[in-house]
Amino acid sequence: MVAGDQSDPVDVLIIGGGPGGYVAALRAAQLGRSVTLVEMKRVGGLCLNEGCIPSKQLARFAAVYASVRAFASEGMPPLSGPPDMAAFQRARVAAVDTLVGGVESLLKSAKVTVVAGEARFVGRTRVCVQTGEDSVRFFDFKDVVIATGSEPIPWAAAPFDGERVVEASRALEWDSVPGSLLVVGGDYIAVELTVAWARLGSRVTLAFRDDRLLPGFDADLSAAALRGAQQVGAEVLLGAPVSASDHERVAVSVGRRPRIDGLDLAAAGIREVKVDAQMRIDRHVFAIGDVTGGPPLAHRAMMQGRVVGDVLGGKNSAFDARAMPQVVFGEPELATVGSSEGVVGRFPLAALGRAVIEAKATSGFAKLVFDGEGGPLVGAHLAGPRATDLIAELALAVEMGATAEDLALTVHAHPTFAEAAFEAAEVALGRPIHVRPRR
Amino acid sequence: MARYEFKLPDIGEGLAEAEVARWLVKVGDRVVEDQPVLEMMTDKAAVEIPAPGAGVVVEQRVGEGDVVKIGAVLYVLDSDAAIGGMTVAAAPPTETPEPRPGPPPQAGEGTAVLAPPAVRKLARDLGVDLARVKGSGPGGRISAEDVQRSAAAPAPAAAPALAGDRAPLRGVRRRMAETMAASAKSIAHVTGFHELDAGEFVALFRRLRDEHTARGRRFPFDALLVRATALAVHRHPIFNSSLDDERMELVMHAEANIGVATATPEGLIVPVVANAGGRDLAAIAEEVDRIATAAREGHAAVADLRGGTLTISNTGAWRGAHGTSLIPPGQVALVAFGRVEDRAVVRGGQVVARPMMPMSVTFDHRVIDGEQGLSFALTLRELIESPEQLL
Repeated sequence: MVAGDQSDPVDVLIIGGGPGGYVAALRAAQLGRSVTLVEMKRVGGLCLNEGCIPSKQLARFAAVYASVRAFASEGMPPLSGPPDMAAFQRARVAAVDTLVGGVESLLKSAKVTVVAGEARFVGRTRVCVQTGEDSVRFFDFKDVVIATGSEPIPWAAAPFDGERVVEASRALEWDSVPGSLLVVGGDYIAVELTVAWARLGSRVTLAFRDDRLLPGFDADLSAAALRGAQQVGAEVLLGAPVSASDHERVAVSVGRRPRIDGLDLAAAGIREVKVDAQMRIDRHVFAIGDVTGGPPLAHRAMMQGRVVGDVLGGKNSAFDARAMPQVVFGEPELATVGSSEGVVGRFPLAALGRAVIEAKATSGFAKLVFDGEGGPLVGAHLAGPRATDLIAELALAVEMGATAEDLALTVHAHPTFAEAAFEAAEVALGRPIHVRPRR
Repeated sequence: MARYEFKLPDIGEGLAEAEVARWLVKVGDRVVEDQPVLEMMTDKAAVEIPAPGAGVVVEQRVGEGDVVKIGAVLYVLDSDAAIGGMTVAAAPPTETPEPRPGPPPQAGEGTAVLAPPAVRKLARDLGVDLARVKGSGPGGRISAEDVQRSAAAPAPAAAPALAGDRAPLRGVRRRMAETMAASAKSIAHVTGFHELDAGEFVALFRRLRDEHTARGRRFPFDALLVRATALAVHRHPIFNSSLDDERMELVMHAEANIGVATATPEGLIVPVVANAGGRDLAAIAEEVDRIATAAREGHAAVADLRGGTLTISNTGAWRGAHGTSLIPPGQVALVAFGRVEDRAVVRGGQVVARPMMPMSVTFDHRVIDGEQGLSFALTLRELIESPEQLL
């Protein structure tokens, strides 16, 4: 049989229905393109189905469990038993189903055609989609967007076995708390798994080959992550070799790599996935999200999805974000955006009323970095409750080129954690009210 | 001192990219304004890229042989002063790469320009390069007003010379001056003018065009001209040669690479149908369509502009008739086709209207004599007047 005898002509073809792909599909459809989306599992991708969303559900569940116990001294009644992880897992599945259903209905009402299967290129303008064991479909596209995401890199010392040694996604799905858990890695995923399972009662060892957690983050955040992991009862081994043998379970997060195996990019004449500001590899070939390399962040992929959707719709759009925030749902919550180099204003949460009454989170801080005296904000690094939400104000400030005066003169409601932002700006300006000024 | 990232300017050939031929300075060298810093290779020849101002070259971002896109940073100049009224970053960009390990950010990831997102969008929409806008806000923050002011001001580099001014001839314009002077000085140009009956040729073109359209393909008129020229060259191989005038040797080319002069918004460029003699008509049509479209849309590849051994020019769209041409150095002939128009001609003793096509064959008389020139033109006439041979 000649490949492609029966090929369906399509307008825009998107390979991968994760946060990048489905957003690109919706935006391109909004702008009048006819979109076909190929997804091999469920729309929403790894993030919605087995990454960001369920891991935040686990983090919240563990944090509530821990805080009930933390407030025992203030009269909170004790818990009557261990956490029911089977019930949690049912709730996790239900929440994911709700959100996947939401994305499906958005795609449906935007008239995006979703094809289930795995795609590979068989020509410059053609893909073959394996829709079943013995069935394939061919599509001829005008424009194609590669949004296949990334996949976890295995740990050299012990490969994934799907049961005892698993990738991070599987470590969200256990219906009992492991007696002992080894978490291998030092990225935000490793930190989040460590904190959640330690809070739920597992004896957790976090082992990372580097000499500090969260490499690439501001050093103060790395230090806060280490303190926090130890506070929740985890043992942290840095820069030391470790063996998988002494632990009931092993969760591995040692990095992710672009998922391009099996795509046969060469058949489309693509030598490497290298994109310009319009996310273009070639005139009619685009790529977005983790597959383009760079930090594997859903919000980055979503922004790139909007850009690519715009470009496909004929808009003059570009991916040119100055600020790319990153957040860690650990103990404490951590958030970062931009640089660590410049004029620094650091405000401790110990001086913030809200922090003292809530969560006993007085070891946190807000650290703002400005480009010279009177210059714009170029970085912000937060540790403490709600840090993952508070970073949004500071990302906006970086994008807008807001100065310390802009932040200091913006009224922040009291008593909130957000006050830490203007307080830190006042520290940078040398005139703080709630801490002693710098000498 | 200020760091200035020098980007490959639009060198005005409708090209999206060019190749780095060679560096003319080393890292650490001091340059003065307008001093050639490196040589870029395009289809026409090497183009020297002059320094925008005085300073020290502190970093070379591209290597010899690299093919780079318009707008890519070629080198970093630690300049003595703000350059050409443009804003220059006072310090290295303050935005560090995203704080995460992994591959370095690719092109387009992040921006060092201090302008809010909506202002960046406005700049894109107005075609304003933010790197050239002076920000009026704190820390050089660029406002919407700054962008609008910049959009309203004439572009400093592209401003046409005013009456009474003297402006240096640069880049492609300068290269054209040099190349054409060299052509006129060294080549012995002779042009023969011919009138061809294009009745059947035009009918064949319409039939082929309609057939291709029915299959969702395009069929450019120039494809038939390339085909005819390639067949004529096959019978007259001397037209597919070069004269090495230093050694006085004739170099015969194995393949006929037919250049097609193509008008683009930025000027004339000559994409090449490689090995036109070895392709059938359908393949030529596909290739002519591909290279001409790429050229018109401004993303012609350097490889498509190289290696021409004979050039044709179709001036029909401008109602061109006869004309002499200057032959590109390295080639020995150029065939120009004019607009097909009905003319009164005599057939069988009667004056009748026939669609006639003017054809001007310019050849280098150092290589080709008058008889050979006329013989080549006669072959072209036979092919075009009895065009079924082209199929």
